[in-house]
Amino acid sequence: MKREANAIDFWRGFALITIFINHIPGIVFDKFTSKNFSLSDSAELFVFLAGWSLRLIVGRDDNPKPMPQIASRLGGRALTLYAAHMMIGMIAIAILASASILLDNPLLLEWHNAAAVFFDPVNTHIGMALLSHQLGYFDILPLYVALMIFAPLVAAIDRCLPRLLLPVSIAIYLTALCVPITIPTWPTEGQWFFNPLCWQLVFVLGFVMARPSGIGGFVRRHIRPIRWLALPIVIGGALMVIYDVYPDPLTMPEPKLLFIVGKTFVTPIRLIQFLALVAVFSVAYGYIRKLAAPLVEPISMLGRNSLEVFCVGSILSLLGQVARFQTGGGYGIDTALVAAGVAIMFLTAWLAEGPERLKAPAASRTAA
Amino acid sequence: MKTLIAAFLMLLLAGIPTPAPAQAPGEIAAIPKECAGPGATEVQDPYLPNVAAALRDRKKIVILAIGSTSATTRGPVRGGYYAIVERILEKAFKPLDVVIIHRGVSGELAADAAGRIKTEIALTKADLVLWQVGTADALAHVPIYEFRNTVTAQIRWLKEHKVDVILVGLRYAASLANDPNYVGLRNIIADIARDEKVIRLRRYDAEQALSKLNRDTTEGFDFAQNSEASSICTAEYIARAIAAGLFIKKAPARPGAPPGPPAN
Repeated sequence: MKREANAIDFWRGFALITIFINHIPGIVFDKFTSKNFSLSDSAELFVFLAGWSLRLIVGRDDNPKPMPQIASRLGGRALTLYAAHMMIGMIAIAILASASILLDNPLLLEWHNAAAVFFDPVNTHIGMALLSHQLGYFDILPLYVALMIFAPLVAAIDRCLPRLLLPVSIAIYLTALCVPITIPTWPTEGQWFFNPLCWQLVFVLGFVMARPSGIGGFVRRHIRPIRWLALPIVIGGALMVIYDVYPDPLTMPEPKLLFIVGKTFVTPIRLIQFLALVAVFSVAYGYIRKLAAPLVEPISMLGRNSLEVFCVGSILSLLGQVARFQTGGGYGIDTALVAAGVAIMFLTAWLAEGPERLKAPAASRTAA
Repeated sequence: MKTLIAAFLMLLLAGIPTPAPAQAPGEIAAIPKECAGPGATEVQDPYLPNVAAALRDRKKIVILAIGSTSATTRGPVRGGYYAIVERILEKAFKPLDVVIIHRGVSGELAADAAGRIKTEIALTKADLVLWQVGTADALAHVPIYEFRNTVTAQIRWLKEHKVDVILVGLRYAASLANDPNYVGLRNIIADIARDEKVIRLRRYDAEQALSKLNRDTTEGFDFAQNSEASSICTAEYIARAIAAGLFIKKAPARPGAPPGPPAN
């Protein structure tokens, strides 16, 4: 049965629209997304909400689901994500290849880290299958796959030693920052854009915060003072972005990653600002429901079908880039691109819920 | 074309194993004729003081390669064509240790790369940044003033922190030769290099010349082959620009002095 609209699905849907726009570089609407007013962006929100959703899979403290069932479901999810990543990667490569032929521009073969696919295909296809070669803007699903592979371990620690989960996660995070440890790419030399050793903390924080007891319970009980404490951090973060004032990495003490702003390592400054943003905006959903009720259900529908919508959105972003390249962009073109893209994302979510819609009347008839 | 690349690669690789090549220390063999495009390197100030200091003090230079253009070469060459730069320099300046850290992502915009450069400099402590810049921005129609501000601010930050910069300009594509946006961005990169007095490698010109040469001498034309050949030539230019930057003493600027290649 279809889930009712809720804050998690709503914000996930919001993040999907934002990611779609942000993945068309140069588009005019890019300037209005949260990344222009916040040190963190929709990637943190997406991963945090994934952790939050894991709590729903694990079950309530008074009615926990069996561990084998949890492991099986998460393993299946990891496989689904892997398959989705492979599929959209291949479609992206086909789009770049087609565009380069149709538009007579071989430089398009080099967009988004795709050059190695065309120029060193033997090694790169192995790398793609191993997730060690990732296309630009198509690099968050590999992080998800990695998180889902380790999610049963997260759930098991939470079940057996709940107080240990967050300290272990923080210890891994700090080690990755202080050493620093990165996940290398191959065959192209580089590193994973989203370092899973660091981003796992965002995931675990979502999981821990979703728990009605423990830290999650503490935050719920004290959310008002926490919001007041968080507000200056959010404002300060916004001012840093707007006025382009960041800590200079070379003047920071070692280990530098503890003091600078970076997305790959989701550094502490960025993470703290994100948590503050969550605290402040946790009050917003109730108001949005009251003041913009017609938006809540459609955007939540996007969030309920996040994988399908994300995949389609990623492909649409790439098509949008090709369209902007060919037309030069501008307000008219960019508006049309965003309108068409968001409409297709809604259509995707609507189609994905088709089987549920068909089941609902059948269930009503059976009940009658 | 295959023969041309094979011959060219053999020419490059032939001198790597012992016995040592017949060239004086600090001297790089003549640039292959395939790469001798007109004015491939534009030099406002060839001196690379921080690279020279690293060579003098540590016998090791660390180079951060970043930006939007692929460094991939066909075949199992770890590090792409940057590996060729390493080989050329290490061969010419024994016992110099050249470490090129590749953090480029093909298709990445200058603004995104700029955000990462500072972090990467802090982590790698690089002496020199090789910044392949502009192609992705031109394709994405990034406003030219934004591009200029981004690149200029980044170069100034690097100079303030005693890191040298070499800009590697736009790629060549025949279909973009008359595209006003593309041409505009090319010109802006030239302006930035001139105003900020940094070395600019004119990959567009070199690639255009190579493309013409290949079209004239071969029946088929393959972008991948041409791209690889131009990448290898770019490696040659980069190595020469660095070599020149190590040994040319900083001299007062001569007004009106024509730009020219730093080596050869």
